[in-house]
Amino acid sequence: MTHFSWLVDGSIIGLYLLVTMVAGVMVRKYVGKVEHFLVAGREMNVYLGIASLAATEFGVVTCMYTAQNGYRYGFSGAVPGLLQAIAMFIIGVTGFCIKPLRDSGVMTIPELFEKKFGPKIRWAAGVVIVLGGLLNMGVFLRTGGEFLVQVTGLNVRYLEITMTALLLMVAVYTILGGMLSVLITDFLQFVVMSGGLIVVTILIIGKVGWGTILKAVETHHGAGGFNPFVNPELGWQFVLFNLMLNTAAVLTWQTTIVRVLSAKDTKTGLKVYKGTAFFFVCRFLIPGIWGMAALAALTASQVGPNTLHAMPLLLSQLLPVGIMGLLVAAMLAADMSTDSSYMITWAGVIYNDIIAPFRKKIWSEKKGLLWNRMTVALIGVFLLVFGLWYPLKGDLWTYLGVTGTIYLSSMSALLIACTYWKRANNWGAAAAIAFGAVIPVTFLILEQLPATAELAKRIGPYYSGIATYLIVGAAMIIGSLLKPQPKAPALEGGAHA
Amino acid sequence: MLKHWFWNLMSAAVIIWYSTITVYVAFKGWKDIKTMLGNLAKLKDE
Repeated sequence: MTHFSWLVDGSIIGLYLLVTMVAGVMVRKYVGKVEHFLVAGREMNVYLGIASLAATEFGVVTCMYTAQNGYRYGFSGAVPGLLQAIAMFIIGVTGFCIKPLRDSGVMTIPELFEKKFGPKIRWAAGVVIVLGGLLNMGVFLRTGGEFLVQVTGLNVRYLEITMTALLLMVAVYTILGGMLSVLITDFLQFVVMSGGLIVVTILIIGKVGWGTILKAVETHHGAGGFNPFVNPELGWQFVLFNLMLNTAAVLTWQTTIVRVLSAKDTKTGLKVYKGTAFFFVCRFLIPGIWGMAALAALTASQVGPNTLHAMPLLLSQLLPVGIMGLLVAAMLAADMSTDSSYMITWAGVIYNDIIAPFRKKIWSEKKGLLWNRMTVALIGVFLLVFGLWYPLKGDLWTYLGVTGTIYLSSMSALLIACTYWKRANNWGAAAAIAFGAVIPVTFLILEQLPATAELAKRIGPYYSGIATYLIVGAAMIIGSLLKPQPKAPALEGGAHA
Repeated sequence: MLKHWFWNLMSAAVIIWYSTITVYVAFKGWKDIKTMLGNLAKLKDE
């Protein structure tokens, strides 16, 4: 039985949605050029950047999986957050890859690739980024809806219509104001989301008890609940795979990198990374604590076979009226900021890197804006059809991992080679993109086929993921070395000064 | 409790850091928005 009150909690949520819509739509008047629409005119400063990056990278889907990690693996499940924070801080301090990227003045990563690898690689990289990104994002809406159903007790029949209405609101302000609306609404959403997360965490610890949570982790998982290296389900391969995955995400995940590209200068972009780094520990540990509290407070029969529902079930039973409204507003904020940011980001890549090569002449700003807005609208339609009305079959986590790795493995190899290796060329880049797509998809097929399912299980997602990153890196190096070097132009009549 | 000092410390740091940064970013971010919109309005007038 949920404690959700439509009068009290519903009013809090309604007020939040109203303020967000007004703020998001109001800034549309500042959008006059494509650059305003895609990268906010490169006027973003440090604190707005931190708020926007944090809000974007925390969605309901993140909350659900990190809480599930807490439930299934205890504190060890939060290790990916630690690794991502370390990677982001080091990259923010050193400027590794992202400094030359921002200095180049490009709006997307593939745009940088064109300078080194040519237009075909730019186009192929754009396609991989959009495919990986959109397929990844395709499942956000339904997962968000399932959380709301669990927590509020909303009739499951209204899930589709509720999430459609929510997506329409997000689409309206994103289409009108582009990245500017995304930044402003992200800021509001960061404040609401963070307030909700902190209050709920303190309340949960207060009600369940920190000692009880620690004891539950110890009882259910032993030392493996605190140390991933000794956890039989995780091990060193889990740590290494997550190190690779999260470093690649910090370097190339378009919604993250767009904050560096929208920053007013390179220094600001690096400061945003340094300032946001520790948030990634919070991103895993806060919902992780909720999941561990569910482990302590609920019985296995209450949770049922799907451990994903443990955390929302606990919240629906534990939180009082008022706080429940704050939680739902916080989760809606998390979901809306992620959706809007993802829509504008992938639209930017589609416009800048996939459509651009087919333009015969340079488009006017007005035409460019129109195409961008239409692309955002089409992404919204895709999200509805794919993510909400089309029921996904199979394991969601494998699906997210595969779609993420297709993109991250090759794009990170291309970015590192593009910025630091003179000999890197389009042969290596093409090989890296091909292997980056083929290996994860092959693993997924092996998992699905009855004859090879056992083999796939023995290999496991972590070894397969590590192999993908290593093979993609090798493909980049070998492919580049195999391409004959262009001969130096012969000097006529000997050398002249 | 003491034997899990790392996660105790990390969890406390998360709550303290996140609470502080939320308030700090809320104030500073608001100023950033005003500056950003001001600059864009100036550019539009030019």
